[in-house]
Amino acid sequence: MLTKKDLAHLAELARIELKEGEEQKLQKDLGAILDYFQELKSVDTENVAPMTGGTELKSVVREDVISPKSKVKSQNGVEAFPETKNGYLKVPPVF
Amino acid sequence: MHLHDLTIKKFHDGLLKKEFSALEMTQSFFDWIEKRDKEVGAYLSLNKDLAVRQAEETDLKIAKNMPVSMMAGVPMAIKDNLLIEGLPATAASKILKDYTASYDATVIKKLKSAGAVFLGKTNMDEFAMGSSTENSAFQKTKNPHDLTRVPGGSSGGSAAAVASHMAVAALGSDTGGSIRQPAAFCGVVGLKPTYGAVSRFGVIAMASSLDQIGPFTKTVEDSAILFKEILGQDGLDSTSVNADYGEELLNPKLENIKKLKVGIPEEYFVEGLDKEVAEKVDEAIKAIQSLGLEIKKISLPNTKYALSCYYIIMPAEVSSNLERFDGIRYGTRQKAENLLELYKKNREAGFGAESKRRILLGTFVLSSGYYDAYYAKAQKVRRLIKEDFDRAFKDVDVILTPVTPTLPFKIGEKTSDPLSMYLSDIFTIPVNLAGLPAVSIPIKSNVKGPAEGEARQGRQMSKDLPVGFQLIGKPWREADILGIGQYYEKLSR
Repeated sequence: MLTKKDLAHLAELARIELKEGEEQKLQKDLGAILDYFQELKSVDTENVAPMTGGTELKSVVREDVISPKSKVKSQNGVEAFPETKNGYLKVPPVF
Repeated sequence: MHLHDLTIKKFHDGLLKKEFSALEMTQSFFDWIEKRDKEVGAYLSLNKDLAVRQAEETDLKIAKNMPVSMMAGVPMAIKDNLLIEGLPATAASKILKDYTASYDATVIKKLKSAGAVFLGKTNMDEFAMGSSTENSAFQKTKNPHDLTRVPGGSSGGSAAAVASHMAVAALGSDTGGSIRQPAAFCGVVGLKPTYGAVSRFGVIAMASSLDQIGPFTKTVEDSAILFKEILGQDGLDSTSVNADYGEELLNPKLENIKKLKVGIPEEYFVEGLDKEVAEKVDEAIKAIQSLGLEIKKISLPNTKYALSCYYIIMPAEVSSNLERFDGIRYGTRQKAENLLELYKKNREAGFGAESKRRILLGTFVLSSGYYDAYYAKAQKVRRLIKEDFDRAFKDVDVILTPVTPTLPFKIGEKTSDPLSMYLSDIFTIPVNLAGLPAVSIPIKSNVKGPAEGEARQGRQMSKDLPVGFQLIGKPWREADILGIGQYYEKLSR
């Protein structure tokens, strides 16, 4: 069971503001899903190594140089900013 | 030529024989979309200007007798979580409502150079999270076979577009079944390639250890053609692999296909599987047997844990991948006094209910005190599920299962109960956990005649609803599943 306090803590960690009506429904839904997960307790995973990715193959590394292929026109990215000042991204104060 | 007859193969042949021009076809598709999409709702945005230019380029090459690729001029639909420079990419989320992509995804770059025409971007569940496309922030997409039912999801728009002839082929993404399940619901072919076969650079990431991009097509032959066009290693996606796909992908030989052994896992034919789906899948098994392939019963004992395992790992990855949607660099920005308030307000207003649910669930399973019991445990169970497949593939070459436990369900039927919605992916999820390739193929009845007509009278409700079967292959063996599929297709035509 997920308490109201637990949910508020998760929402804070996830940086999501929750509205009044939303809380109850989320508590109920997440509670039911977490209950469902209990079946995993019965699986014997002693001496099983976790599978940490989609493949057992090693990650591919490359030289840290700019390749013409990876060039993205930076102006396109800047245009997507919701707020700019002199071509820089504008954000509200931290505090 | 009618639009509903068109496959990639037929389009290519017609184009070369100058039966039509790419531009004419593009315009015919837009005319048909204008009419039909009012009912189906597959497209979120259309791309007339660029599409016309792309078509004209192909026509110019044809006029000059220059060589063109199989995909040249082919009118395609693209899921809205794939970036095409200069076009919207909303992932069907309010938080990206005003976002315009600043670069091309690698698959888009490849298709552009092959000359494909992008008609528009298709509807989906928000950030690819859902099984019915009902989680889109913008519109409902309907199943073209029955407008009161869902097209499946999350790539429901792409599946519905191909099924209703509003595109010759489409791209989608598959994290737990998001290509195969809507393909089955809409009666088209959907391929989820091996993890690493197709570059994911330029797809809006959902769960990075599970996501793959793949094709929707009308035939298995087309699926192989389009897959061949988009696969390959990419320096911009370090999980992509340079796999060797030979001639057999496009031209499988029956003598080789006949030698393959097909496994039927008992755990996929259990309670909860609709009788109608089970009967149809049985027809597909018999048809494949009639091609000369050996059918063998197998066991994948950890199948029943796949759903729990997936719904821990996937939300964990979702919660980190969706951190970037905070109103800072893109999307719509809410008014706020300080940075923290901006994050919270943007995410509150921008994400739909299912996205919030999964972000919170993922945050929970990764949070201090719960990590080992949930996330670490799920990663171990994931290995057990993968080892089930490894063991099975020592005995058989491919595995045949249903794609979905039920027929396409009604719009609104499962929206209030997330768990019942999650259960519609139980047969597709294990494949993503194990990183395997799998294809969903529509089952066509081989039995024809009055007897069938009578039998169907009693089941008026579902008589025209498609059912699919799934072929799961060994890693990098798309040629096996697509090969069997291509011969199955010839059989049932």
